[in-house]
Formats: sequence, C-alpha cells, structure tokens
Amino acid sequence: MGNQTFRNELIVLFTALILLPMSVAAQDLSPREIMERLEDNQRATSNSALSRMQLSTCKFGVREGKITCAERPRVKSLESVGKGYGPDLKDTKSVAILLEPAAERGIGMLSFSYDDGARDNESWLYLSALGRVKRIASGSSDDETEPGSLFGSEFTTEDQDTGKLDEYTINILEETTEAGRDVWKIEMIPNEERARKSRYSRTVSYIDKERFVALKVEMYDQYGKEIKRMLGARVELMNDIWIARSTTIMNLVTNRLSNMAFLEMHTGIDVDDEFLTQRTLTDAAFRETELEKLRAQID
Amino acid sequence: MRRTRTCLALAASALLFTLNSATAQDDVLVLDDDVQFDGDFSFDDDLFSAAFDEDNSTSNSSWFDGFTIKISQQFSGQLNNHGVELAPGFSFPREAELETNRLGANIRYQNAFAPGWLLQASAQVRVYLNDDYQYRAEGDSIDIESRGNELFLQRSFDRHSLKIGRQTVVWGETTGNSVLDVINTTEFRDFNIIDIEDARLNQWMLVWDYFGEDSNFSSFVNLYPEFNPPAVRGSPFFFEPEFNLTDYDRDSSLLFEAGTQWRKSFEGSDISFMAAYLYENQLRYEDPETGIGDAVAETNDFFLLGFSANRAIGKLLLNFDLAYSHDVLADSFSFPGTASLANPVNLKKDQIGSSLGFEYAISNEQSVSLGIQAQKLLDEDEGLLPGQTLINDGVFGSWLVRYSNTLMNSDLVISSTLQGDLNANSLLALVGADYTINDNWAVSGQIISITSNDESPLLFFAEDVRLSVTLSYSF
Repeated sequence: MGNQTFRNELIVLFTALILLPMSVAAQDLSPREIMERLEDNQRATSNSALSRMQLSTCKFGVREGKITCAERPRVKSLESVGKGYGPDLKDTKSVAILLEPAAERGIGMLSFSYDDGARDNESWLYLSALGRVKRIASGSSDDETEPGSLFGSEFTTEDQDTGKLDEYTINILEETTEAGRDVWKIEMIPNEERARKSRYSRTVSYIDKERFVALKVEMYDQYGKEIKRMLGARVELMNDIWIARSTTIMNLVTNRLSNMAFLEMHTGIDVDDEFLTQRTLTDAAFRETELEKLRAQID
Repeated sequence: MRRTRTCLALAASALLFTLNSATAQDDVLVLDDDVQFDGDFSFDDDLFSAAFDEDNSTSNSSWFDGFTIKISQQFSGQLNNHGVELAPGFSFPREAELETNRLGANIRYQNAFAPGWLLQASAQVRVYLNDDYQYRAEGDSIDIESRGNELFLQRSFDRHSLKIGRQTVVWGETTGNSVLDVINTTEFRDFNIIDIEDARLNQWMLVWDYFGEDSNFSSFVNLYPEFNPPAVRGSPFFFEPEFNLTDYDRDSSLLFEAGTQWRKSFEGSDISFMAAYLYENQLRYEDPETGIGDAVAETNDFFLLGFSANRAIGKLLLNFDLAYSHDVLADSFSFPGTASLANPVNLKKDQIGSSLGFEYAISNEQSVSLGIQAQKLLDEDEGLLPGQTLINDGVFGSWLVRYSNTLMNSDLVISSTLQGDLNANSLLALVGADYTINDNWAVSGQIISITSNDESPLLFFAEDVRLSVTLSYSF
C-alpha cells in the first residue's frame, strides 16, 4: 500500500515536471511559433493518414435564436489519403475521392500543398465526363465545383492551406477564453504578394492554448467586413492528435454553411508514394486495390 | 406551336415547382443576404451530430453499389417563326416547333471485383415521345432506342494498366475544341448542349498505360475503327441527300488505329507528346458510279503528331494544343456534325492545327475562359484544278468565350457562351443555367441564338432561337 502511494506520488511529480516546462513554454511562444504548432497539428492529421469525412452544406437561418439549416443539407461523403513530404514533412500530398452522392461518385482531386510561399499549390481533378485529368489553377475550377472550393462546399483550398507563414504578419491580439477554453486570439495579415492570391485581407484565430486547435476563425475581406467564420467543435484526441472532429464554416455573405465531420481518421498508415499521383485519379482498378490495402492496415 | 408552348410551359412549371420545394423550410427565419453578423452568435453543432451516430462502415458494400443511374426528361425546340433566304428570291420557312420530347436513362456501372481488376459499363436508353422528331420520323409512334457506351475490363498491376473493351481516349488540354481530341467518334445529333460523354462514342480498343517514376505512357490499338454516324432523319442536322448515306462497307479489309502519348508533370505545368495512325472520323461520301443506288462511303487514313501543355499561373490556367496531320482530306467544315454536307475534293493534304486558350478565375465564384482553334492546310493550292477552290482555305477554325458565375455554393451555375468561326461568318450565343436541387434532382435550361451569313453552313439555322429544359434525377 505504501509502495503504491509512493509510486502514485512519483507519477504525479514526474507528470508535473513534464507538464510544467511545456506549460511555461506554451505561454512563451511567439505568435509565429503558435501558428507553427497549430499547423504541425493540422499536418499531422493528413500525414500518412486515411480519413473519412462527411461534408454537409445548407443555407442557414435562425430558429429559436440559434443558427440552423434552413433547408435539408446536401451531404457528400469522401475518403482522403495524405502524406507529408519535403523538409520537416511540411509539404503535403493528398487525394480525396467522393463516395456519395451517386451522381458524383468517383470524382477525385489530387492536391500538392507546399510550405514555401514562393511555390503555388497544385491541384488536379478527374471528371469522367471530361475523360481526362484536368489541372486546376489556384482559385479556379470547372462547372462541377465552386472555384477553389472543396467539392462545392464552403471549405476552400485556402481555408485548409498550411504553410506560407512567411507571407503573413502575425500578432497576438489578446489572451481570452472561447468555448470555455483558454485561447490566444491571433491576427494574421497577408503581405502584398499573398494578398493578391487570397480572398481574405485579415483573419483572426482563437487557438486553444493547450491543444493547439483553432476553435474559431474569423475571416475578413478587403473592406474589413467579416465574410466567413469557422467554428471547431468536438475537440477530441484521435491517434494522439487533438482535432476538431466537427468543423463548420459559415459564409456570412451568402448565408450558407458547410460542416466537415471527421468520421474516421487513422494516422501512421503506410501510404505508397505512387498512390499520391495522377494514376489514382484515372486508374480506378489501381485506386480501389490500394484503398483496400490502406483500409486493411486499419483493421 | 400550341404544343410547343404547352410542353415548354410544363417544363417551366416543373422547374419552378422543384425550385420552390427545394427551398421549403419549417419555421426557420431565412436571413437576408445583407444581414450583418456583429460579434458572437449562437450556433449549435449538434445539428450535424447524426453523422457521428450513423454506422458509416464501408465494408458492407455490395456489387449493386456500383450502379449510378440518371433519368432525365428533355424538351427542346426552335422558338422563332422566320424564314431563311438561301438565295435571292428563295427562302424556306423556319417555324417554331418542338424538336425533342424524350425520356432518357443513363446507366453506369463500375465494380472493382477483385484486387487489380475492374469492370466498367455504361449505356443509355431514350424514349422518343409525342412531337419529338424521331417520334415523327417513325410515323407518329413512340420510339425506343438503346445504346451501349462503355464496356471494358481493366487489369492493373505494378506500373501497368490494361483496359480492353469499348472505351474512349481523350487527348489535348483545351476543353471542348481541342485539335487533338480526334480519337473518338462523336455524334452531335441535336442542336442543344449535351454532356460531352453522351456525344463521344466509345470504340473497341486495347489501352495500355504505363505509369513511370517521372512520366507516363498511354498507348492504344483500335482494331475496329468506327465513324461518325450520319444525321438521324428528322433531326436539325438532317438534310435529304441525293443518295442514301450508308455505313462504310468494310469488305475484308483490316482497318486499325494505333497511337501513343507520353505525359510528364512539372511544377505548375503538364506536357504531352503524342503520335498516332488514325482514320478520319468523318466518312467521305461519293456518288454511286452508276448514278443510282446508295452513296459510296470512303475512309481516309492519316498520321497525327501532337504536343499539348498547360501552365498554371496563380488564378490563370493556360492551355495549348498543337497538331500536325499528314494526309487529311481537304474538305471538312469547322463545325462538328456538318461535314457530311461538304462537296468533297478528293485531295490529301497536310494540316497544322492549334488550340489555345485560358481559364481565369475572376473571383471564387466567377470565371472566364477563351479557346481558339485554328487550322491551316499546307500547300493548299497544290493539286487543285483551275478554278477549283477548297471549302477551307487559309486559316480556318472556331473560337469560344465562356463566362460562368457560380451561385448558392455551386447549386446554381449561370453561364453564357459565345462561339463563332474565325472568318466571322456565324455566331452562336448561349445562355444557360444549371440548378442542383438536391443530391438527386437537377434542372437545367439553355437558350441558343444563331446568327449566320451565307458563307457558313449554319445559314440553315440563321435567326433560330432555341430553348431546351432538362430535368434529371440521379441515384
């Protein structure tokens, strides 16, 4: 009994010793370091990862004082595979394939996201109607999806971008609370070069101090008007990564919202480099075979 | 005329009804677009909690899941009562009338039934209803037509993929009017915009893809080349020929097509080189030697060398296709579906063609694109008899400008397109709207206005105003 108590005290002591420096360090982080930690977390969710998500989109209205869908949401389910590349694995290659609805099944998007601000991200889309792979310029697209958006949702490639922090001025506005959690309120202002490629002139993020998860992000246009708001909820530890399993983006101009629900996320998956190429978009036999192998690693 | 109006009114009512049902809501205050969101507002994430409660396992899939079916009802017609003057003092009337009233089903099936194996098939069925031109061509009776599109078996292993069966091969970067997209035959039966996958006809081919470390090869062999089908009797493109147009009589001759493409991606750019031995998709028809009987269909084989590239610069995507064709016949029009009207000149020429264009995202919702296709026969006067001229002399081709605006988070896409030939002899102006009502229902409408002078084969359609409405259900 005595030994047991002593052991528990040791564990508490060691835990305190481990957490204390982390806690102190967290408070001492610069705005840039905070955003790097946040992005490291984001990248970890797509590094050697297989995820299944559900995207729901609707026009929103107000019921009993709360924002809610004013129509039956349009729901898409998709499977995504990603892997980190480059120095410190800060570049990401990913493939997302639509599973539902039936009319859009098999549409795939291959994306290369680069940390270096001088390198434009790259995307390719495969539509059976076109019969070939089509490169998508940043911010442009074809009729099937809203330009720059993820499969027609309010999530744009820019909203999910990581890296390119060199192209922003980052400031801590205040330390406050959000959804009952201690947060940093961080402002990011793009430089002239980045502003030309961005829809936003400024973003304000509420970053959980302990978990390095964005609980809220406000996005402003060039006139200083808030045009989008992102809310993170259901923050859970999945595969040792804190993640907002339910993320909602509200477009305050069009009054439409999209929710991305992470139904499954598996990291530490051995993803073959060849899977993250254009072959996956066009060669359905290869894609399905490789996806089965990836799913088997989870089982 | 009354029937035309009735059908179009019905289509418009269906459209309005579906739009209204799509926006129906229960005791929810719909916000104005100019509502301001100052400070915090309450949002309950539980709205989407059902996604986490449902069993989303993918392991329970069955072979039946591979089916995708789209059922559609289409009405289209010519609205403007007018006459077309083909020569001084000679004109023929163009009355407003319903041209298509058809119920269709597109069925697609894809099943990766074993590791590395895939079966894919697609087919379409059309039921031609009252006042459809095929209904009238069949003596005022309902006609049913079915067509198999894709049917291929794929085997993928290591870095290779083999596909055998009916399929399409698409080359070129420019969407819609690439000079390199000449491998598939096409059928533009009606004068309205249809899905390109409906217009492209599949052929029996073996396709071998090799996916290398840095670049890919894609090669095909077609042992049964097919040709563009002649216009269907009663359709807008149909003109009563002097002699009956028949299929090509293959006799015992072995026809084949083969080609290969090498493709490599760089950062911000993709390039391809290609080479092929092909048959022109359009048959050339000659009068029968005896002066009676059917027209004689002739084929023409040629070699194609091509290069294509794209370049993404921020929100701008540049596309470029270049084609050098050796031994093509010098007698085709620049608009698809009208080549069989040409008076053939039995001369083989070399031809150089280029498609170039750009796509630019003005904003996240709006984009504009431009495509120009230009072709020129080399040594065009060589071999011509005195006084003889080519239909396509000098630089000929077409251009296309398109603007699209995506509204309501891509539920509604409004587009306008202008298309004309490089000699400014004809102009098509198109306004379209595609509305996705929900995951299953969609409705689209298009208005096309045609302007042409007597230098263009589109003269027959000059001053036409064409409207089409299509309602579809996918599952």
